[in-house]
Amino acid sequence: MQIKINSLSYTYLAKTPNEVEALHDVSLEIPEGKITSIIGHTGSGKSTLIQTLNGLLLPTSGEVHVGDYVVTSKKKKNKKIKELRKSLAIVFQFPEYQLFEETVEKDVAFGLKNYGVKEAEAIKQAHKALEEVGIDKSFYKRSPFELSGGEKRRVAIAGIIALNPDILVLDEPTAGLDPLGSKIILRLIEKFNKEGKTIIIVTHDMNIVLNYSDHVVVMNDGKVAFEGTPSTLFNGDISKYSIDVPELFKFVKILEVKGMKLDLSKIRTIDDLITQLKEKR
Amino acid sequence: MNNLTFGRYSPFNTFTHKLDPRNKIFLMIVLFVCVFLKVTVWSSTLIIAGALFLFMICVMLISKVSVLSLLKSLGAMWILFLFLLIIYMFVPNPAYKADHIAFTINNYPVYYDAFIQWGYIVIRLVMMLMVTMILTSTTKPMDLTYGLEWYLTPLKLVKFPSHIVAMTLSIALRFIPTLIDETNRIIKAQSSRGVDFNHGGIFKRFKAIFALIIPLFVSAITRSEELSDAMEARGYDPYAKRTRYRKLQFHLVDLLALIIVLLVFGAILFLVIYNNHVSQVDIIYWISGVHPII
Repeated sequence: MQIKINSLSYTYLAKTPNEVEALHDVSLEIPEGKITSIIGHTGSGKSTLIQTLNGLLLPTSGEVHVGDYVVTSKKKKNKKIKELRKSLAIVFQFPEYQLFEETVEKDVAFGLKNYGVKEAEAIKQAHKALEEVGIDKSFYKRSPFELSGGEKRRVAIAGIIALNPDILVLDEPTAGLDPLGSKIILRLIEKFNKEGKTIIIVTHDMNIVLNYSDHVVVMNDGKVAFEGTPSTLFNGDISKYSIDVPELFKFVKILEVKGMKLDLSKIRTIDDLITQLKEKR
Repeated sequence: MNNLTFGRYSPFNTFTHKLDPRNKIFLMIVLFVCVFLKVTVWSSTLIIAGALFLFMICVMLISKVSVLSLLKSLGAMWILFLFLLIIYMFVPNPAYKADHIAFTINNYPVYYDAFIQWGYIVIRLVMMLMVTMILTSTTKPMDLTYGLEWYLTPLKLVKFPSHIVAMTLSIALRFIPTLIDETNRIIKAQSSRGVDFNHGGIFKRFKAIFALIIPLFVSAITRSEELSDAMEARGYDPYAKRTRYRKLQFHLVDLLALIIVLLVFGAILFLVIYNNHVSQVDIIYWISGVHPII
């Protein structure tokens, strides 16, 4: 399913003294089957943007097309929103806060049951999703509140994955996790992408952008400031977006200053760098 | 969740915003008394209520309190008003005059007086809502608790922990917006899992509420534990003597507001006493010399 956003605007608390325009005339196309990162500093409209994608927020003006579904400012036109939310699922920041059932498997099955899947079948699919995120069988009957932070997050992600969405949107999936926990989550995301899902990640971590994503969108003051591949972004002038340079790129830039000639557009991971260095020898 | 924003503080700089919160709390109580003063002659009562209503509308406009949000919260209360109407229509009251029958339902008489009584209680409720709204949307929650604390200070003589009560209140008030944000976040997260909070049967919605309440409680409890740790880490002692950064002061505007409200109160009190004890004459008759219809 393809996502197309046409001159989308969103204003919080419209017509009150506290009104804030979070998105201003945003037009975007998000490539199918790829990993897209959305970056930008706090308050640039990233979270608002993803919430309009499945109709959690209805745009003030403009529209979002997701496959055959349309999200517009008119309430009456958005009848199929529940089905849309099944095909385009959002994993919110700190998804562990949404856990509430008695056992891990019941919590994962909860979403499926909301879409009318029968109890036994839902539990079966929940087990599959839990297996996919690497949660051990011994956890299935335990309370989700007993788990560690990283495990809770994986259970919460399993709850979304169980719905088998075509598009998976993750808001800061690695925030507050230790390096190992982050790595597990990112590997999962890569795996889902290889299974054919379109992935959208909202993040502050430029290393994720460089290492994992195919496409990147930079938001600034509610507008799209940049759209393209990560290497084009980091090779260009990024000072105006107030974002960091990825660790790997910092290192590569130092190598360049010292006289090493490298093809920057092809470096995404440490392995890429090693291959290029080997070629030089 | 928009109806939860009822009476939320809105940052303007009007006359009402500048008043001392202690003064505002006092004036609110005076206005409440005004609202509940009752005259035996119903038409006088309605005239007094009408005048008070106009006064409050003026105050609302001066304070830039949104009339729209008042209407919205009244819209949310329609079921209460309907319920009251039914009660007033069908509960017999010896005070209703026999010749005031409006119509009968299966030979059960419904009196005009019932509608008048109902109208009066609705006006009272609306005015109470207005006063409360004016107070909360022109006063920062923190100032409100400082005001309350000031009123509680004399109770220190009888060992009443007024500071602790005020601190508890201010923390509770401080966390209302946080909890609203949290609620919205959980609603969004659960909606993404296919929970429908707005449609479906009662059982389905009940189940949906569980998916909201449990995570909300869990995070509120975690948050309160973190907050108490943070307070202790910074050496908070509820019994220590404290100084204030913001001091409450009684200004000239406060005096002005006090005089205006007390004048309104005095006028109403005079009318009520005059009407109840000196003369039973109707105010309409008193002012214009024309007898009212009923």
